[in-house]
This record gives sequence, structure tokens and C-alpha cells, in this order.
Amino acid sequence: MFRKEDMASFPEVSAIQTGLGKEAVVRRPAFVRKPALWLMVLGLAAWLLGPAPGWGETLKVTQSNQSLYPSADFAGTPIGPVPMGAEVSVVEKAGEWYKVEYQGKTGWLPRQAFPAPQTGSKFPLGGILFGGPVKETKSDEVALAGKGFTPEVESVYRQKHPEMQFAQVDRVEANRVDEAQMQAFIKEGGLRP
Amino acid sequence: MRRQLIWLLLIISAPYLVVGCAGVDYVSVAHSGLKVAGKAVEASRPISDPEEYYVGRAVAARILSTYPLYQDTQLTLYVNEVGQTVARKSSRPNPYRGYHFAVLDTTEVNAFACPGGIIFVTRGLIKTCANEDELAAVLAHEVGHVANKDGINSISKARWTEVLTTMGTEAAKQFAGPAGSLVTLFEGSIDDVFKTIVVSGYSRSAEAAADQDAVNTLSRAGYDPGAMAALLTKMAAGDKGSGGIFKTHPPTSERLAKVKAQGAEGPPSKEMATRTKRFQSQKL
Repeated sequence: MFRKEDMASFPEVSAIQTGLGKEAVVRRPAFVRKPALWLMVLGLAAWLLGPAPGWGETLKVTQSNQSLYPSADFAGTPIGPVPMGAEVSVVEKAGEWYKVEYQGKTGWLPRQAFPAPQTGSKFPLGGILFGGPVKETKSDEVALAGKGFTPEVESVYRQKHPEMQFAQVDRVEANRVDEAQMQAFIKEGGLRP
Repeated sequence: MRRQLIWLLLIISAPYLVVGCAGVDYVSVAHSGLKVAGKAVEASRPISDPEEYYVGRAVAARILSTYPLYQDTQLTLYVNEVGQTVARKSSRPNPYRGYHFAVLDTTEVNAFACPGGIIFVTRGLIKTCANEDELAAVLAHEVGHVANKDGINSISKARWTEVLTTMGTEAAKQFAGPAGSLVTLFEGSIDDVFKTIVVSGYSRSAEAAADQDAVNTLSRAGYDPGAMAALLTKMAAGDKGSGGIFKTHPPTSERLAKVKAQGAEGPPSKEMATRTKRFQSQKL
């Protein structure tokens, strides 16, 4: 209980003298007393826990065979290739396309060129509160990591079916055309790059 | 101020206090809940691009156990150049590991699009083509099937549901082993795709869509979009319904009517002679 003489040091607290001679203390909520401070705290929390913004972030290209396009459309002539593992700066996100800067060039890459965007907060609150992710066994990884048909599955299948011509498939996949050769072929045929 | 600090500490430590009171088992229960939630999300997902790629490789391996590869390096390179030219103008220019084209050593008139981007064209079908633009039309049609995921979508829904269930079932891990179960389902998926693209063929609507895509792709790449109609006209004349592409595709006259309705006929470009010349220089 507060005494009357203590009230001087707590201006935000008002005391009501009751008819029974007892004092009831009414405290105004903190957000009423200092709204600006609490707004700042809430804003900071929203910034910390909110989804990460897309603009200005650097993303790594995780798919092979990617090209920078002048507009958000595959029909355009590619500006140039962007190798897997390249880091690009995101300028803008528009549906299925990201406008990016790469090696001084600005162009568009399809969203599939990047890992699936994270919709969670910048800081793993769940991890902070409940600990880190569960460490799965390797068999768990095969079964649960969203990779149903994997190289491991193919490997077992190949052992079961030696008659399947996987070596020939590897040979077919080795069929590649050098980009300079492609450009020469397209130019010679009067085609569009 | 001190009271506020106490409340703040209480809020932050509440989860730890709850867990601490109830014992460590609640942590694993919480994690199990998260895992179950993850599996529920997993159970509704479509086939991913890498999964499509591995199914496509196996389908290609099965086709190559039936038809041998044509070993002409020059022709294989040329088919890849034409194929890549149209693929980069398709609605799906960048599948997981890109497009790869190869020639099958058979007189049968046919072409196959394996899921993920491996495309086969037979020597017989190349011989049917009069020029590069018609070969481009064949390859653009097959690229259309890959872009529209017609091959991978022929895996039965029931089988894919079973794949997802197996992936999410702890029992499978403990008793049958996930690899064993998944390999069996992998085999079944390959059967589904192989039967569709080699034996029964795609639906008429899928073929019509691939024809339409091919015309658009040819136009964007700079090829004569009329090459599709020209090729179909030639095939319609020889359409005996006997085998190969005639067995797995709708009547050519029906396809031709739809392509012509698309208005896909244009004047030949001045470079067409160059393209025809390099097509005719290939050894078949």
C-alpha cells in the first residue's frame, strides 16, 4: 500500500480516499502515460518480427541455366547468362519475376531461380523460445525433407533395373551447345536470340 | 517501472516456465506437432522440379532400352542447336537441368518429351521434315509438352498421394525402409509416364495445347510459324493410323484444322534458304 506522503514521488498515480478510511490507488496504464514510447516499442517489435523486405536484399541464384531478361517475359532476348551460385541484388519483385542487378546489368530473373522466399520473421522467435531445429537422422532426411524422388532413389532403381540405359541418358545430358556457338547459329539462320 | 520490468521478464520466461513445470517431454511433443504440421503441408505439395527431373531421367533410360541412340555427333549437335533455339523462347525455358535433345536410330516417325527436359526425335521423323523450320516445329511441340508438364502430370494422383504418405509415415521408415517404398512408387510413376508418352499418348487437349505453344514459340524464335501446319499437312497425307506418332497422337487432320484456325501461316523469311541448306547438309 502506498502512503499519502509517497504520492509526491509518483505523479502518475492518483489516490482516492474511501469512506472507510482506506486508500485505493488507481494506476493509469503505461501506454496512456507514455504513448510515444510505447508506439516506438511496438514499431521496433513489428520491424524485428515482421517479414523481411524484398527490396535491396542480395539473393543467390540456386538454379542452373538462368538468363537475365530485359523485361518480365521469357519472349525477350536475354541480356546474358547468370550462373548458379551468382549473387544478385534485388531491385523489385513483381509476381513471378524479380528485377535484379548483376555485374552492372539490370534485368529480370524468374522467381524460380531463387530459393522459396521466407515468409517468417527476421529472427527465429520459435528457435529462441523452443530451441533449435530437430536434428533428423539421414533416413529421416530422405523420407521427410520434401525430396521424394532423389538421386538415392534413382540409385536403388538402377541397381534393380540394370537393363535401363542410364549411361546413355548421361551421354544425352552431356549434349550441350556453347553459348557463342548458339549465337552464331541463331545469327546465321536469321533467328531471334 | 520495477513492476513493468517484472511483467516483461514474466512474459519472456513464460514458455520456459511452462515447459519446466511439465517436464522435458513437452518439448518433444511440441516438436512432433511441428513435424506433423510440416508433413501436412508436405502432403499437399505438387511434384517438385528435381523430382520431375529424376522421373524424366528414368523414363529416358527406359526409352533408350527400346530405341538405340543415333550416334551421329554432327546431327545430334544440329538438333540441339535447333532445340535450344526454340526452348529459350518457350514458356518454360529453364527447367531444373535444362533441355537436352537426342536422335533415336529408328525409321519410326515419332518424338518423345520426357519430363524435365530430355527430348527424343526419331530419324524417321527428321526425314519427314522438309527443312529446319519443320524440325523446329517438332521440337517446339515437344518442348510444349515439357513446359505444360504433360508427362509428369500423367503420374496418377493416387500414386503421388501414396508417395507423399510414404514420405510422411514413420512406420515406413521403421519397417519397410523409406528407400524401398519410394523406389517401388518411383517404378510405378515411371510406368505411368512411359505408358502415356510411348503407348497411349496425351489427351487431345494436351496435344492441341502443345501445337498452339509450338506455333507461338516458332514465331517468337523467328522460325516460320506456318511450318507446323506444313508438317501436319504432310503427316496427314501419310496418316495411316498404323503406329509411331500416329498411334499416340490425335488424328493429324484434326490437329491441322486447329493449327490453321490459329492463323499460323506466314511468308518465309529471306534466311529460310540458309536454314534449309544447313538442314539438308545433315546425314540421315
